[in-house]
Parts: sequence; structure tokens; C-alpha cells
Amino acid sequence: MNTKSNNFEKSYRVGIDIGGTFTDIVLLLEDGKIFTKKVNSTPEEYSYGAVKGLKELIIKHGLNVDNAKDVVHATTVATNTILEGKGARTALITTKGFRDILEFRRVRFPELYNLQYNKPPPLVERKNRFEVNERVDANGLINVNLDRGELTSIAKKINKLKIEAVAICFLHSYKNSIHEKEAKKILGELLSPDIFLCTSYEILPEIREYERTSTTVVNAYLGPVIKSYLGNFSKRVLDVGISAPCYVMQSSGGQMLFKSAIRSPAYLLESGPAAGVIAAVELAMKKNIKEVITLDIGGTTAKTALIENFEPKRTSEYEVGSGINLSSKLTRGAGYAVKLPFIDISEIGAGGGSIVWFDEGHLLKVGPKSAGSYPGPIAYNKGGKEITLTDANIVLGFLNSKFLLGGSMPIDGKLSEAAIKEKISKKINLNIYETANGILKIAIGNMVRAVKSVTTYQGKDPRSYTLVVYGGNGSLLASSIADDLNISKILIPNNSGVLSALGLLYANSTYEKVQSFQVLLDNLTTSKLIKVFDKLIETAKSEFPKVQKNNKRFNESLFLDLRYLGQAYEISVNVNRKHLSNIEKIKKLFHFEHQKLYSNSSPNETVELVNVRVSISLPSKNTFNIEKKSKFIEPKSKRFIYFTKPYGRKKGKVFTGRHELGRHKIYGPSIIEEYDTTIIIPKNWYAFTDQYMNIILKKI
Amino acid sequence: MAKLSIDPITLEIVQNALSSIADELALVIMRAAYSNIVRDSMDYSTAVCDFSGKTIAQGLTNPVHLGSFPHAMKNLVYQQRDNMNKGDVFIFNDPYGSGGMHLPDFYIIKPIFINGAIEGYTATLAHQTDVGGIAPGGMGVFSKEIYQEGLRLPILKLYENDEPNKAIFEIIQKNTRMPKSVLGDIKSQVAACYTGEKAFIELFEMYGRKKFRMISEEIHNYAERIIRNNISRLPNGTYKFEDYLDGLGENPEPIKFAVNLNIKKDNITVDWTGTSPQVKAAINGPLPTTHAMSYLGVRCALAVKMPNCEGYMRAISVKAPKGSIVNPNEPAACGARGIICFRMFDTILGAFSKILPDRIPAANEGGSSAPHISGRDKNNKPFLASGGLMGCWGGSSFSDGFEGISNPAANLSNTPIEVLESQQPVQITKYAFVKNSGGPGKNRGGMALVRGYRLLETEAELVMRSDRRSITPYGLKGGLPGTPSWNIIRSGNKKILLPVCPMSAIKMVQNDEFIHIQAGGGGFGNPLQRNPKKVLNDFLNDLIDKDYAEQVYGVIISKNKVDKNETILKRKILKKNNNYKFSHFKLFHKSIGISYENWIKSYRT
Repeated sequence: MNTKSNNFEKSYRVGIDIGGTFTDIVLLLEDGKIFTKKVNSTPEEYSYGAVKGLKELIIKHGLNVDNAKDVVHATTVATNTILEGKGARTALITTKGFRDILEFRRVRFPELYNLQYNKPPPLVERKNRFEVNERVDANGLINVNLDRGELTSIAKKINKLKIEAVAICFLHSYKNSIHEKEAKKILGELLSPDIFLCTSYEILPEIREYERTSTTVVNAYLGPVIKSYLGNFSKRVLDVGISAPCYVMQSSGGQMLFKSAIRSPAYLLESGPAAGVIAAVELAMKKNIKEVITLDIGGTTAKTALIENFEPKRTSEYEVGSGINLSSKLTRGAGYAVKLPFIDISEIGAGGGSIVWFDEGHLLKVGPKSAGSYPGPIAYNKGGKEITLTDANIVLGFLNSKFLLGGSMPIDGKLSEAAIKEKISKKINLNIYETANGILKIAIGNMVRAVKSVTTYQGKDPRSYTLVVYGGNGSLLASSIADDLNISKILIPNNSGVLSALGLLYANSTYEKVQSFQVLLDNLTTSKLIKVFDKLIETAKSEFPKVQKNNKRFNESLFLDLRYLGQAYEISVNVNRKHLSNIEKIKKLFHFEHQKLYSNSSPNETVELVNVRVSISLPSKNTFNIEKKSKFIEPKSKRFIYFTKPYGRKKGKVFTGRHELGRHKIYGPSIIEEYDTTIIIPKNWYAFTDQYMNIILKKI
Repeated sequence: MAKLSIDPITLEIVQNALSSIADELALVIMRAAYSNIVRDSMDYSTAVCDFSGKTIAQGLTNPVHLGSFPHAMKNLVYQQRDNMNKGDVFIFNDPYGSGGMHLPDFYIIKPIFINGAIEGYTATLAHQTDVGGIAPGGMGVFSKEIYQEGLRLPILKLYENDEPNKAIFEIIQKNTRMPKSVLGDIKSQVAACYTGEKAFIELFEMYGRKKFRMISEEIHNYAERIIRNNISRLPNGTYKFEDYLDGLGENPEPIKFAVNLNIKKDNITVDWTGTSPQVKAAINGPLPTTHAMSYLGVRCALAVKMPNCEGYMRAISVKAPKGSIVNPNEPAACGARGIICFRMFDTILGAFSKILPDRIPAANEGGSSAPHISGRDKNNKPFLASGGLMGCWGGSSFSDGFEGISNPAANLSNTPIEVLESQQPVQITKYAFVKNSGGPGKNRGGMALVRGYRLLETEAELVMRSDRRSITPYGLKGGLPGTPSWNIIRSGNKKILLPVCPMSAIKMVQNDEFIHIQAGGGGFGNPLQRNPKKVLNDFLNDLIDKDYAEQVYGVIISKNKVDKNETILKRKILKKNNNYKFSHFKLFHKSIGISYENWIKSYRT
């Protein structure tokens, strides 16, 4: 029977993860079948390569464009726009006397002792920062009325300056937004209509002027770029004949309609990495794993995040453009603050391509510089002269020394060996295996620090967690990292090569809203609180397409940002409807959270409410039909693998793919080589596949 | 290649793990502390010490504090070693006898017992909002003796057998104007010590006692090796530099900081001989401060990457004459000693600029200005609006000086205006760069900042610590000095100019506005060689006006463009006439509406 005509009637969903180098496309059919494709990204116009690949995949499998239910995609365009400084020519309008807030930032700089530090330039030049007479005080009262005349003349200036976007941020607008609203209205009438206009009360109605201003400016700076990008994307999708709604992934792990994303592009900064974490969330749910650490190791960086009770841990302390975003709040100031919901992904400059070097005190270092994919590690024989982590992994037998990518990419492990021997082993007087193992251990140490920054640094004990790994180097290094952290369970997902694209299809449509609401809990009337929540929920729901607005499957998550009176920072406490009429219960929840996070609480102290937040989502429902054919095949080949003493160098079996494991438990030392990843099972571990063809590694 | 008793791989791994623990301590404090000064400004530090009390790792927080742990630890170990038990947590702040720097800085330190022996310490230091004394916030510049500066704690056990000593908590509570904030911050310090201890024990147990101690020692050797390498590349010799504080009160007498930097092979001596005697005001820097600043200065100037451990300090000796402002005799007051930290830093860098002219920038703004506005509200509850103001950097061979950046010697954050206004009865009237400020140069100094505070309560007292009015931030390589600082009170129609460090609290009444204009950074290189495009850009960005471009840089701007020919002519004229070196001062004063003629009488170079 012709499978093509079979598929023609089936509905399906589309997930596209557009990265800097590759674009992954996944089609998920109503019967659970999955089709995937990897194509080169087209950075000059990302939607071109993505949609072209999508069209080819649809044709190949005989699908009908009319049956696409939705298209969800993740993009790096927002982050790249900032990193490359290619955003819109932006103007900022502030309260009189405060146009330099954007440039003062929080004044702290991230590199102690460095007098050669280079401060990032503000996204809006001073000449494009305008001040207008107006003032709202800390209680939200108007001290000085908005000077409309002044605003009119500013509008005239802006119209002359080829400005493409305008951000408005006044002091205390989170308390009283009337002046920002008014200013937006006036400017909306006077400015040329193609200028992107946004206010701080809409994007981030929260206290702290620098963070709010910066977030609003980032949003404006991205506005025109994202608008044209998403416009092109939907046009290309339409040209292919797909008229299904298009969504884009947010940094928080929810998906968003294009029309909302165009207004709030600052929500898209960590679109891609969030998708991978969401895929792990789905896995955790399916397998009922309550505590998960995700670990995505590529060529240059390792990214890690925490999932508890099927919710990824989130943060709003984020900086874009700071390069590597280790979740340490100690070295703030390297990028531009964006105080929106993000999955708390900690990143460190350590991956397969990380370069090995000696510092001037003769200590061996690995990374953060990477040899990238070109020239790449020495073994690639493409002119790479610097030893990388991958070279060490080849010497250790972790990687095949003759080829990668299932044989399609020949390499030369002898080059790695010679280089490590000559440049390092001789100098430090260790044999080649101990040296390579040392390089691995240093890299692992760096990655462990990233994992610690999302666990122990936040008062969580990683030992009870399951490590979910993906990315090209994830499964290679997972067991070493787990050993260091005393983690005893690792999960390597099926389809881990396109995991992020799959994650897009698991994501819920989510909209989050926040409102400043400062009051002591003792003075809080519950009816007022309920009213505030209801209004926020209403606003959040208005972001959904009309047909969905009366849907009963909406999930609502309610949060109160609370602190002890006098504390400078608040904790977001998840509450439910029942709690809202029970202030004492809310207090208890807060004391409990405080105790959990900081190992102390003060039940006798006054508790203050600062913000009210909601997150409204519409769960997506999918069926998956995983190919489970698996039959144990005794491996023909073996190779030496080196592990830390006392194990030393031992021969291990080499399986080619997880489909060869059958129902067997595979004990280490063994290796499973798949197309784009290699799984190492060390001596004290064993591996098996589960009913979804994930590989589970367990410590004996 | 140097011979190591521990392989470079293990060393790198343990070193990384230790600094990870120090950072973890710092994060616990940041999350759990109560005060703005700790949470928003990050005026605190953390360290991990080895079994002997030597610092092996420090958290990335406030550079001023970092070199002070060794002194504190030495005193703690010397006085208490035989008296330490499992479950003890120590507290102290006394600069005379316990190793503190000034009373607001509370050290809280926990010995780590493993198998019955002390194998390490977790150490924290946080600047407390208020410790009593003559002026709120501990910054009473006019204190003459330490007895006026508030609660003085020798080395005491805050916890014994993991149980809090309630008496000490009660004494602290009764001796501060802000008990909630202070006790909250202390709790966060204790929590950090315990958290760090757990991580330390785990790490220790991976290696065992013998090996771990060897590793610790090797980390010190490693840092020492790096710094000695760097020092030995410098030409031997003695390099002198002098810088000044303006002085105190209405008729200030300059206070001299003299440093002799002696470089001999791979050793540096930082010798403060020639520095002014101690003063009867709270700006004396007890010895730990002087050590801390000397280490910091060398470290920044050499620009070396190495761990924050005590080992690198072995290559640096510090000499400070007894009875001088950098090594005062008890009971000299020292609450506001921060200001001399900054000047010591400027002085050391000045000396280094003679050795490393391409690396050292001209002087920055001179350090944080510290206004404290305090009083009691209608309900008789105390309020205190404080928070250091910074800052800008001097120009350098590679860049203009940045504005809107913390002083490198105290990498603090500012407190958000909206947070300040919601908690204290002040309204900020402006927070901006000052037009025509900074020192001109081929690469100009950073622009000065201005901040205004309007009092909303009926009355309050203002205590102010600032500097750099008569002796402004130095320029280098022909760059001109930065612009001076000013303190102004506007009361009704009156405009009152205050000294840099008034020697009493100044009364403010409702709606009075206190305005601080900070000094601007020094310039680097001849201003007449500044790229005219950069001058134009500063003009377009409203940082300087047209007159300034013309009279200071000889750049003629017409219709928002540089007139090249006119500029060449003008620069020729200026080159012959050295008076242009004062033009920026004139135009700066014009832009802030203060008499240049009066100021220039007090100006000293």
C-alpha cells in the first residue's frame, strides 16, 4: 500500500527549531508518527531555509498542506540581533532628569580587577534619549502633570531622526501608568505609523527603574526586526499553502501567537534553549520523574536547567548579550537586563570544541574558547592546531578514532594522540591516558559548576535528580558529570538529535501577566486580591485566538511575590484559588518557601505583597507512536576505553544504535554509537532502553 | 616548568571547586539578606580559608574587602584557636585588636571541624546598615574617637554548639537604629557559613586530610608563582607618587598620600612613608585597610588572572608608618575610612602609571560619595536614606573613561531610585551626567554624575562624605584633571554650598533639596589630539556644548558638523596658549551655575 496517500488525509503539527547552523524540522502526525529533517540554516533570511525544508518534508511524506494544525518555531533572531548590534534605531523617553538611567545601569561591572574592562554601549544613544516633564511619586500620586507640549516637540524631533522604535519609561509607572498611557497615545498620533512604540507598564509593570527601562528598550530595539522576521515567516508559510496559526517559542517555555510576539519580542530571547527543556518536561511527565536536571552539551557551551514536579525552574534575572549566562548573579552587568520570565538556564563555555591550554602559572585549563566546527579539533584534520576536549575524548576511547557521524565523517585519532603527548603529557609528566583523563575531568569540573549553580547554589541537592542529557556531547560526558555530583540516574531521550524541535510541540500556549500590588498581607482584603487576579487572567486570556477564549482546558497558575517587610527582594509563591481567601495560609506558604530557599524563616515578621502574577496556558495534546523495534545484537567490535584509576584501560563492547540493545541490561564498560551522538557506559553503570526507546543509565 | 607536588589537573579542579564554594556563600547572603546595602549595593564579601586560616578562595563581590580577610583570620586564629569547638560561629568588627576595617563591617566566621580537627573556615563580611554611634549609617565623618562610632565587638562566639548566644543578639539589637535590617543580614551571613561548610566537607572528603592540605598549599604557591612572574617583568626601581584628599570641614587642609613602590626582582614593597599623620575625624584607615588596598592596587595594575588566595600576597610587602592616617593608633575614628581606600588606590595606580603607561588609566571620580539623610518620621520611626554614589573612570591609552560605572576599587551597585523612594522619605530630583564635566584628553575622562534628593519629612540631618574639590582627579600623559565635586543645599530661594566633608550634621527641612555633583574622571593624552569626530559625538550627545568643543578641544562645530579648516586653525592658536587648560573648569562651572572665580582660588594641583 502507498504510505504517501495514507498520510494525505492525516492532520499533523509542525515544529521547527532554527539554530545558527542547523534547522531541525519535525512533523507529528495525528497517529503519532514522526518525520524529521535537518537542513542548513540560512542566516541572511532564516525563514527561507526553514520553510523550504518544511515544504520538502511535507512533499516527501505525501502530506496535505491543508491538514497542518499549527506551526511552532524557535528562533535565535532575537538574541542575535542584540549580539550583533543590529536592532532598530531606537529612542527612549523618560521622566525629566532621568534619561541617563539606561547608561548608569546598576553601575556594578562584571570583571573585578580589570581596568581594561569594556562597558557595553547603551542600546539607545544619549542623543536619542528624551526627557519630558512629568512625575509620579512612590505612592503613585501625580506630582507633576505630563507636559503635552514638550512631548509634541519631541515627536517632531523623532520624526526627523529616522527613528524606527520608541520606548517610553517613566518613574513609578508600575504604580500609576497614566502618564505612559497618555504619552503613548499622543506619540501614536504624531509619530509616523511604522514606528514601533512600547511602554514600560505594558512590558514590565514592576519596581526598579533600570531593569524596567532596559527591558522596555530591548523590546523596542527588537520590535521592528522581529516584526519583519515574523512577517516574512508567515508569508512564506502561507506561500507554501499552510494557513494554520503560527506560534513562536518564548524564553519561559510557553508558545505565543505571532500577533503577541510582535508586540513583545523581548519574550523570545531564549526561544531555542527553552524548547529543549520543555521536551525534557514532557519526558519527565510521561515517566513520572519529579526531579530532573537537563544538560545540553554542544561544541561550545553546556547548558543546564532544573525541572521539579514537571515545571522548569524559572527566573527573571536575565541579561542578554552578556555572552555566557552562568546563573550566578554575582557578576551582573555584562549584558542588558531583561526582567521577564525565563527558564533558568545556566550556561558555561565548555563543550567538545573547548580548547586546552596552560595558563602562566602552569595550570591546565579547558575552554572557554572553542575551536568551533571549523577548524575544529585536531583529529578533524582540517587545520586545527589546538587540542580540544574532543581530542582527549578520542584518546580515551570515548569517541571513535576513525570516523564520526555513522562513518560519514572520517577523522584521524592519531593526530590527537600525538598532539596531547607532545604538548601536554611530556610537560606534566603523566602518561597520555592520565593526561586525557585530566583534560576531561577539568571540563567536567566546569560543567559541574554550571549544574551546581542551578542546584546547590539554590539550596537543592542534585543527588536525587535524574540527569536528562542531549546535544552532541551530552551522552558522552553525562556519566562523568553524574559521578561527580553523585547522581545515579541518567536519561538519554529517543530522538535526542531533534529534541528541541520536538519540545516545541509539547509546549503549551502560555501568556503571563504581572501587576504591581504593594500591600502588607495583614492589610490585604481578599476580595480585592481576587479582583486583581481575575482582571489579570482576563487580560492574559485576551491574547489567545478568539476560538479558544471559552475553552475550559485553560490552566491558570497564580503567584504572589512576597517578602518580609524590609527585605529588598521577593519570592514568587505559587498559590491556588482556595488560598486567596486565607491570608494565614498564604503566610505559611511564604515562610515555608523562605525556609526552603534560605534555610531560615521568621514566622513572627510582617509579610509584604509586592506583585501579583498569573500564567494562563492551554495544554497541547499529542499522541506519539514510537518505533519500538529492538532486538539484541551481540556487538562485533570492541575498543579500549580509559577510566579514572583504579579502573584504567579496559575493552568495551561497541553497539551501533539503541535498537541493538533489545531488552538487555548492558553493563559497562560499553559504548553505544549513534548517528550524531555516542553514549558511554562506564564500568560501574548499566544501560537499558525503556518503552519509549529512551536509554536509561543507572549506577550499580 | 616549576615542579609541583600536586598535578596541575587536580589543582585546577580543586581551585575551581573552592571558588565555587566562595560564590555559593555570596549567593546565599545576597538572596537572604534584608538591607539594600547588602542586597542591592552588594557591599559584602565571602571567603573560604584553609586549616591554618589562610584565605584560599574569595567570592566575586567587593574588591575593597578582599585583602582584609587575612588580617581578620590571623587575629581570630591567634586569639581563639585553642578555644574553638565544633558548632562555634564567631563575630567581630573591631579594627583595633580583631582585624576589622571599620565598625559597620561585621565579620562572621565559622571554623570547619572534620574528624575533630579544624580543616578550614567559611568567612563572611557584610557592611551593616547601622551600628549606632554619633551618626546613622556609621559614617559620622566628624567622630574623633572610635568610641563615638557605635557598637564595638571584639572576637565573640555568636553561636556555640550551634546554639545562638542570645545575649549578643540582644546587645546588637539595642545598639542599632535599624535592628531588623542588621539582624536579618547577620542571619544571612550565618546561613552562608553553614551552607559553605557542607560543600567544603564534601570536597575535603574526596581527597582526605593529607592531600587536601597539600593541595591548599599548592594553590597558594600557584598564585605566588603567577604574581612573581609578572613582577619580575617590571623594571627594578623605586617609583613615587603622591595624591591628596582635600581635607575636612570649612577650611580643609590637604591630606597627603605618598607611596614608594619598590620593585626588586620578583618582590614589590608598597611603602606609605611620607603619608600624612592620622586625623581627628573618622577617615583613618586601620592597618588591615591599608594592606587590602595595597594588594588590590598591585593586582589591578598588573592585570593578572589568578585565584583570590593569600599566596599572591607573599610577593607584596606593605609598610605603613605608625600614627599615620594609613596606620593610626587606637582610638582613632575610622567609620568613613572608605574615602582613603579610594585615594590609596589612586596613589598606587599613579605610581604604576610610570611603569605601565599604556595600561593605567587617569584618575577616576575619586571613590563613592556617601550622603546619609536621616531622622525620625511622624510616628517616631527612624529613617535613613543612604547608598554610595558612583561613578566614572579616567581616560586611558585605549579608551575614553566610562561614565555610569562603579569605581574599580569598590565594585558596588546603586540602589534603585524607585526602591529608595518607596522606603525612605526622599524624592530623587535628578540622576544624570553633568554637561561639560570630566577631564579633557585625547581620551577624555568619564562624565561626572549629579544626583538631587528632596526631603519629604519635616526635618532630617545630612551627613556627607565626599572629596575631590580642590585637588581634582589627575590626568595622565598630557590629559587634563577632572572636574571638581560640589555639595549644594537648595532651601527655598537659598543656595548653600557645603564643604566636601562637613564636620557636623547639616539640618534639612521639608522640601530642601540636597544636590551632589561628583568629580569627573581625569583625561589621558593631549586634548588637542582628540579625534574631532569624538568631540562632535560628545556634542551631539549633549555631553558638551559648542563653546566647550571650541575652547577645550579647538574643534569648531557648525551645523552639527566639524569644520575641518577652522579646527586646524583654532588648534594652532590653543597650542600656543596654555590658558586653555583651565577652559574646561570655567565651562563646567558655567553649566552648573557655580562661580568659577571663587573655586579657582582653592584649586590646587
